[in-house]
Amino acid sequence: MSGATIATAGVTSMAGCLGDDDDADDTDDAAVDDTDDTDDADVADPDELDEITVTLSEFPDTIDPLDHITGPYFDIYDHIYEPLFNFDPGEGVFPWIAEEWEETGEGSTEVTLRDDVVFHNGDEMTADDVAWTINRAVDPEKGVASDLGAFGLGSITGAEAHDDTTVEFFYDGAPGLAEFEFGNYARVISVDWAMDYNAEEDAISGDSPEDFNGTGPYQVVEFEPEVEIVVEAFDDYWGDEPPFQRVTFNADGESSGRANALETGEADLTMNILPEDVATIEDADGVEIRNVSSFRTIFCPMKNSVEPYDSQEFRQAINYAVDSQEIIDTVLSGFGEPTSQPVAPDINGFNDGLEPYAQDYDMAESLVEESGYGGVEIELTAPQGRYLNDADVAQTAADMIDQLPNVDCSANIVDFGVVSDANSAGLDDPDHPFYMIGWGTVTGDTDYGVQGFFVPEETRSFADEELTDAIIESQQIEDIDERRQKLQEVNQMAHEKAPWLFLHVEESIYGVNENITWDPRPDETIYLWEMDV
Amino acid sequence: MISDRVKSNLKDTFVDSLLPKVGLVLLIAILVMALFAPLLATHDPTRTGHFHETGAPYPPMGYSYETQVAQDGEFGEVSVESNSTHVLGTNNIGQDVYSRFLYGARVSVIVGLSSTLLAMLIGVPIGLVAGYYGGRVDDGLMRVADTMLAFPALVLALALIGVFGESPVHVPDPIVMAGFADGMPETIPIPGTVTIVGALVIWVWFARVARGEALSLRNEEYVKAAQSFGTGNAQILRQHILPNSLTPIIVLATIQVAVIILLEASLAYLGFSGTTLSWGYEIERGQDVLRTRPWVSIVPGIGIMLAVISVNLLGDWLRDALDPNIDQSKRGA
Amino acid sequence: MSIAKFLLRRFLQGIFVIWGVITIMFGLRAVSPGDPASLMAGEGATAEIIEQVRVQEGLDQPLYLQYIEYLQGMMVGDFGFSWQARREVSAIVIGRIPATVELAVAATVVAIAIAIPLGVISGTRRNQPADYSATMFSLLGISTPNFWLGLMLILVFAVWFGIPYPSVGTSSLPLSGVSVPYPSSVGLGMVDLPTGRRDVSFGVAVSALVFEQSLSEMGTWLRHITLPAITLGTYFTALITRLTRSGMIDELGKPYVTSVEAKGLPSVLIRYKHVLRNTLIPIITVLGLQIGTLMGGAVITETVFNWPGLGLRLIDALHDRDWPVMQGIVIFIAIAFIIINIIVDALYASLDPQVSDE
Repeated sequence: MSGATIATAGVTSMAGCLGDDDDADDTDDAAVDDTDDTDDADVADPDELDEITVTLSEFPDTIDPLDHITGPYFDIYDHIYEPLFNFDPGEGVFPWIAEEWEETGEGSTEVTLRDDVVFHNGDEMTADDVAWTINRAVDPEKGVASDLGAFGLGSITGAEAHDDTTVEFFYDGAPGLAEFEFGNYARVISVDWAMDYNAEEDAISGDSPEDFNGTGPYQVVEFEPEVEIVVEAFDDYWGDEPPFQRVTFNADGESSGRANALETGEADLTMNILPEDVATIEDADGVEIRNVSSFRTIFCPMKNSVEPYDSQEFRQAINYAVDSQEIIDTVLSGFGEPTSQPVAPDINGFNDGLEPYAQDYDMAESLVEESGYGGVEIELTAPQGRYLNDADVAQTAADMIDQLPNVDCSANIVDFGVVSDANSAGLDDPDHPFYMIGWGTVTGDTDYGVQGFFVPEETRSFADEELTDAIIESQQIEDIDERRQKLQEVNQMAHEKAPWLFLHVEESIYGVNENITWDPRPDETIYLWEMDV
Repeated sequence: MISDRVKSNLKDTFVDSLLPKVGLVLLIAILVMALFAPLLATHDPTRTGHFHETGAPYPPMGYSYETQVAQDGEFGEVSVESNSTHVLGTNNIGQDVYSRFLYGARVSVIVGLSSTLLAMLIGVPIGLVAGYYGGRVDDGLMRVADTMLAFPALVLALALIGVFGESPVHVPDPIVMAGFADGMPETIPIPGTVTIVGALVIWVWFARVARGEALSLRNEEYVKAAQSFGTGNAQILRQHILPNSLTPIIVLATIQVAVIILLEASLAYLGFSGTTLSWGYEIERGQDVLRTRPWVSIVPGIGIMLAVISVNLLGDWLRDALDPNIDQSKRGA
Repeated sequence: MSIAKFLLRRFLQGIFVIWGVITIMFGLRAVSPGDPASLMAGEGATAEIIEQVRVQEGLDQPLYLQYIEYLQGMMVGDFGFSWQARREVSAIVIGRIPATVELAVAATVVAIAIAIPLGVISGTRRNQPADYSATMFSLLGISTPNFWLGLMLILVFAVWFGIPYPSVGTSSLPLSGVSVPYPSSVGLGMVDLPTGRRDVSFGVAVSALVFEQSLSEMGTWLRHITLPAITLGTYFTALITRLTRSGMIDELGKPYVTSVEAKGLPSVLIRYKHVLRNTLIPIITVLGLQIGTLMGGAVITETVFNWPGLGLRLIDALHDRDWPVMQGIVIFIAIAFIIINIIVDALYASLDPQVSDE
């Protein structure tokens, strides 16, 4: 098997776990009293903005950096357990802790590491730590059954340290794919430290600041499980001093709550603001909305192992029935862009010759008749609180389909777990054959956006030999242009075969203290070191 | 078996005070809404897309509001006027709030009545048997009742839903089927699990009341007489005990309908009812837009409140007139 | 029967009910339509984790052995392990208790502080305007779903501060589930008036007050808890008002009132001292019984206001399908309810020794 396996990888970042908040922000140096946010709610002087609060949509439920593959968790843990490589979405992989790397043969790459990196507990980082961490992630027998290893590092098979600063990665996919994977998902934990946590058997767990030990620019100074993590700049960090001295991470599952925290000065940066709350923030002083079209597309797979979705005409009819531009203009207040294919524009392999299916009820109706499924009743299963106005989008889409005279469609709103399970259950599972999900093609490459859905036999939600073969073929192509062309073909094919109801590209909407200089990334990641005041 | 004395009692208390009349009027209004929702509704309650040309939902009649929308990434302020076909405006996804209000009554009434009925069917026979036979059976029942009552109703309901999941039942609409209301949904989704869970949560109240009645009735002369004639226990329960226990059971049932309506709304609000056509869900939907579109939450909340008030008022009336002995404190939660 | 004997009986009954509660929760797991191991492992668990759970939780054992182990664990306060949160359930529960207790106590205080005077006024001035308003208020209070009430309070606060409905959207007033700043037109600037969340715990607030003579923590705590406490307390306020009113009416009709009145004692004294004391006894019992409603209400109130207590955690656990946490919280709430009721009975028995004779 090659490539990132499936599902939970990109899907998990927009979430709705409720959490607590705290307000250790914009206090001047003398103020020990960090609760008095009543008078200085108007944004503090920029010179004093060395303590900020970041309010996420979901607080981590694990402290093991390998035990998840969830967007908001990375937004916290990447500052503690920094990535090994600098990944620039759409541009590629650049040096960070890994200074240089080189393919050494069939399925292996040798990586040279910096020699001045230390862990927060003072231990020096070596290639042994890196190799051990990678092996712990990708080996299901070791430590936790790591989501990061199974999905993020799907094609990586292991790593081996050669000396203190050299480590070799092994993989069974194309080198380009492997680079995307380790470029994105390689992290490092200290072996000696981790052994105290029985980390080869179990997840790292605990509830004190000492239970974190990475090499990142920030170290944990306070930790209250389910509530907040407070980090401070790490004095012995190998790289540039980070822009803020002290950062509090907390979470609020409600968009309105996050918007309010921002406005009252309780938070300086927050994510996943709903379109309804945009106006509030735009109108408030000292804070603003920053939005970017993300790499995440929202769509509804139709399992072609289940009737009536085995008919290409029927699947196309569904696409013709739904007006995604209309959904964007109304339910999403204008945020988003209709899609014609699995991946978003700016992704390598995006085919800009394709137009979104335009709403055409006559066409849809006759396609349904052609498919022989006229009069069928279907149900669209969709999550609530995962993506921007997801339940509303799904109910609208379902109603648009329901307006076809020969199809009855209703929406079934469920917890995200149900959708996620339906997605990874594969074709054998006939429950919820038509469901709404979002996928962030965070690698910036089409392969990551289509592979998991169309290739692995046990988990794919759509089986089509031609499409599968085309994807596999693209993975073997070394030449960049030739590969891009092949990927465009894949996207074209996906458009025609209509394995999904294509909806839209999700907009990432952040609320930010306007004294913070920062351009949001299209891969939904928040890196403090990319900010400035 | 309602005696003449009780009847005159009922009538007197009804004539004397205002509140039962208010309750009755409200109840009739809600039942009419529920029964004739397809005829009274102006739009299919599930039909989306009723938006102002700016893409924003309509406010209720007579109001306008301003909001911001994005166009090509730029924010612009727009003013939204109401539309005379949407009396109470439209919600986040452009559904008619008035029509959903009517259908919300329908769902509440169906769940409230069927769940209470189910609870009676479970609770009353168990309670009567326990009270009539007494002894071990009775002890066992009382312990089970104590245990059930140790769970707050909502918490127990959540636990049950956590295990059994939530699934809607699509109930066909006879009025639409008969062709009297074209364009209205042919079936409406009723939260099936919630109905059953509601009954499982409140049956024990019925069992307790029925037991109490049976306990006191079994010593009555006519029961003793029937026993001495060799009448079977089953027959005695059916012919003597049950009819004479009905009054307090009916009072209790009235109050429990309100409990179930609130329970259903709470579960729908929390997202555990499995349906979206519900007052509770609509309040949740409006929560995100409370600032700009408060009517989305306000309207269904008023619906719940009126339904519960009407049932409570009638419950109070029945209790005062029929059976002053049911304690306020024992009405369940 | 002596009070001691009565209490002993109540205590044993309580133990029995706790056993019943635990058994029901065990039963629910056993009858769940899915595989218990995957129920325990929770959302998104891989097949490996599910197998690990099966072995470690002993789910591959016969049911009666599982049951014995389950009971043994509960007896020593071991509520199990959350495979999702990777923490002991008991640690999660304990971490959430203070917030819920604060909210429940604050709501009860609000309820008693408002309801008893209201009930007394209502009961002593029967059929006067004050009585009608109090009766209307209690009717509304009992009939309003508290999650809606919470939202409406937030909304009304906006209206209160000069924002006419429904043009709320035109104002810069940030109005949402969490905090409502005053609009600057009121001249207070951006004063934070949070309606929910718990930035400072009551303990921290008290210690700041005592050791640092700092009022601001207490202020923060009060500002945060006010609306949730009102939201949760309204049902009780209404209920206690009703009970106080009818209790007062009953008591005032009793012969002793007329006789003390004849002695020339001022009527205010009679009303508050003698009559109210006799009225309070049944109210305490009702309060005990209604603690369950309070806890159910807390689940919803905490969700509306994002208040980090047991109820919010229960809802999170349900959404995440985290069975161990869910059952831990449910069992904890039930046990707390049972214990509170025993305490209430003890209180009741000591106030009114006749009870134990029943």
